[in-house]
Amino acid sequence: MTDKPVLTLKDLSIDFPTPQGVVHAVKALSLDIHKGRRVGFIGESGSGKTTTALAVMQMLAEPGRVASGAIDLGGTNVLDLDEEQMRRARLSRVAYIPQGAMNSLNPVMRVEPQMWDGIIAHEGKLDRAVLKRRSDAALESVGLPLHTADLYPHELSGGMKQRVCIAMGIILNPELIIADEPTSALDVVTQRQVMQTLKAIQTEIGSGLMLIGHDMGLMAQTVDELAVLKDGELVEHGTVQQILEAPKHPYTYDLISSVPLVGGESFLNPEARAEAPKRDSAEPLLRFENVRKDYGAVTALHPMSFQLQGDTPQIISIVGQSGSGKSTMGSIMLGFNPPSEGRVLFEGQDVAKMSAAQSLDFRKNVQAVFQDPYACFNPFYRVNHALKFPFKQFGLARSEAHMQTAMEEACAAVGLDPELVLNRYPHQLSGGQRQRLVVARALMLSPKLLIADEPVSMVDASLRASILSNIYDLKDKYGISILYITHDLATAYHVSDYVMVLFKGHVVEAGPPKEVIGAPQHPYTKLLIDSIPWPDLARSWGDGRQDWDPAKLEAEAAQANSVYRGVVSGFDLKEA
Amino acid sequence: MTSQDNMPMTRAEKRQAKRIKRFDNPWMNPKLIWGAALLLGIIAMGVIGRFVWDPDLVFTGSSMLRLPPVGFENLRGQAGTMANPLGTDGGGRDLLALIIIGAPNTLFVGLLASLIGMSIGIFLGFSAGFLGGRTDDVIRVSADVMITIPPLLILVVFQSAFGDVSLTMMALLIAGFVWQSPTRLIRAQVLSMKQSGYVQMAQLSGASTSHIMFREMMPNLVPYLFGSFIASVTTSIVTAVGLEVLGLGPQRIPTLGRTIYEAINAGALIQNLWWWWGIPTLLLAIIFIGLLLINLGLDEVSNPRLRKLS
Repeated sequence: MTDKPVLTLKDLSIDFPTPQGVVHAVKALSLDIHKGRRVGFIGESGSGKTTTALAVMQMLAEPGRVASGAIDLGGTNVLDLDEEQMRRARLSRVAYIPQGAMNSLNPVMRVEPQMWDGIIAHEGKLDRAVLKRRSDAALESVGLPLHTADLYPHELSGGMKQRVCIAMGIILNPELIIADEPTSALDVVTQRQVMQTLKAIQTEIGSGLMLIGHDMGLMAQTVDELAVLKDGELVEHGTVQQILEAPKHPYTYDLISSVPLVGGESFLNPEARAEAPKRDSAEPLLRFENVRKDYGAVTALHPMSFQLQGDTPQIISIVGQSGSGKSTMGSIMLGFNPPSEGRVLFEGQDVAKMSAAQSLDFRKNVQAVFQDPYACFNPFYRVNHALKFPFKQFGLARSEAHMQTAMEEACAAVGLDPELVLNRYPHQLSGGQRQRLVVARALMLSPKLLIADEPVSMVDASLRASILSNIYDLKDKYGISILYITHDLATAYHVSDYVMVLFKGHVVEAGPPKEVIGAPQHPYTKLLIDSIPWPDLARSWGDGRQDWDPAKLEAEAAQANSVYRGVVSGFDLKEA
Repeated sequence: MTSQDNMPMTRAEKRQAKRIKRFDNPWMNPKLIWGAALLLGIIAMGVIGRFVWDPDLVFTGSSMLRLPPVGFENLRGQAGTMANPLGTDGGGRDLLALIIIGAPNTLFVGLLASLIGMSIGIFLGFSAGFLGGRTDDVIRVSADVMITIPPLLILVVFQSAFGDVSLTMMALLIAGFVWQSPTRLIRAQVLSMKQSGYVQMAQLSGASTSHIMFREMMPNLVPYLFGSFIASVTTSIVTAVGLEVLGLGPQRIPTLGRTIYEAINAGALIQNLWWWWGIPTLLLAIIFIGLLLINLGLDEVSNPRLRKLS
């Protein structure tokens, strides 16, 4: 620790002049990053993490500017460099792996020439053989097979693209690597693999690493030091151990305690057990009869039969990686996507063969929360249109005033201030606010069945728990059965009564959550659970082992037989 | 840099603030405003002109022949007079009266043709995108076929067969050739919108098909419809003027194209009667520039990425 830090930020302030006045995005931030150290920047969106990183690269978007302070990159004051000097410094001294880097590969170029571009821009024309050797070495160091070099970006998976971007970043052995949410679009298994690659390569070239993120678990598994940012201010800085074990600032404490843990304390309120209203039908609420779905030659969902009685409201979780067929299941239940084979029955009625009146009734009773809250609101209308319209359409509104109170109550139930959000346009709200509004909309209609497809993927961890516990309470109050589709095993563990783990369209393990997630038996479930980053230093995850190979484990999992665990009354899954 | 914080804004910063303000209200777009002003100018000329100038001067022989505009002399040494400020043509018609009546007529044909064409396009585009299947196949293929047919060729045949036509008839004929691109555009937009979250949300809310079409989708199509409308106005006017310059189209109603046709026919180019063909050409240029500016402006309104801060 005696040598000079690779990056010193001193009283760094960044301003954004806007018509409404100057926004101070970063306020008097001071921090050192030493050689070979990994420093995590954590905070919610808008806390100034990315802005700081961009300032180091001198890539602040107009009209942002560094108002005061100094940025010292291994002895050079970055702010004194002119455009040409800065261009030389980028990549060779400080590499930036942007958010969603995998989408920044040029789709019409093979991987190899894209990697050469960086070398040529800094070192001039080199011999082809030299370039080839260096790009091969970089690919090898991120654990990609050499033939990747000749592929186009669309031929690579998300995780591979992300690793190509890391390879590009380290090809000139920079002193500092900045990685801005490098795994935000990847699922847990790939995330673990990419983070391990990044860690290994950073240790190998001995550079500093600035990791930007919002996932406390991921940070705990990856970095040495943590910097907690809130509204542009550095509220806490220390080693991971120190911060995880004894957080000083209340905000840091919130960040840590809000991460739901498998087997940890439940975030649900155990007392709020209301008596559910009685159902007036003896038919099972939802029934799948040998439902199968094919997309061309690919079978997204293998024949599946189950029956959800729905007399007492229950939460059935469907977990799996992207591409496991869980969202397909959701859209089949909603009748948006007809099954290739088999029938879906809602209260004894085939969803595909309903009359107009039955269909309206079905829509009223079966509601959904979709994955992408950005797309769910018509950009032309204020957001209250999305709440008002179905309420009127289903004849629930007794008067204008009644509708207004219902909307306000629904907003309050998901922790939104109705005054603040209802009269806005969708683009004026954050992803989290929109997602909560979609939940509010569904709850306001008090359906019998709610299909919730990743309902809390866009909100911060602390809110995630509170929205889920709200949904949990409301399900008892209004008698709503819920199908919770998610990749987040920890929340599924807490809220659900029954869990199905989906892998390539098959149910591989099913049963009560305490058994399936708490003590998994199927290799795929184990793989999923091993990939969760725990905010717990004792539970190591990315210990730099290179032999952890998800592809091999998945191949093994595909061979194993499905495991059916205990039985839960009210839900009946037919063993395939 | 620190000391600047509390100082009054410099001129550059003030200018920047002004630009940001303009950025905030996309409709305050200089291109859009200029374009609209040019077209409104033409319409205003047509409306006000009828009151302050005598429209009867468009008839043959109402004035002396081939008089130059005020301040010029023609080949016979006659100077322009205030009685015919823009001169007269070979038939003794007053050019000012001709453009007062003719320019709005040209614009009218263009607007009416593309209004009809757009309506057909909206209807077919929505039907194709929404209903899909066989309907979609038929509409898509016929639109594709129509795009490959050069409209002028067919229209020349049509108009020669019809002989004299009214302005409305001409607009209807042209409308038959401007519906295909809006159809394709709207079909593509409807197809992508059908998959969007808010349309699914509306379906989930038990919305009827017509509600989804007209209340959920249509408002979001407005920028495209506007852009497409302006583009088809341009095409319609080009087609109409093309026909008129060939001597087809309405024979007794003054239009800009017809005036140019008569000028060419009477040898105005070699007789140096530049005002006869020059003034209508200038007005056509103003109309096209106005339409182009509106189209560019609308592009910037609907696509914020084109708006620049600097």
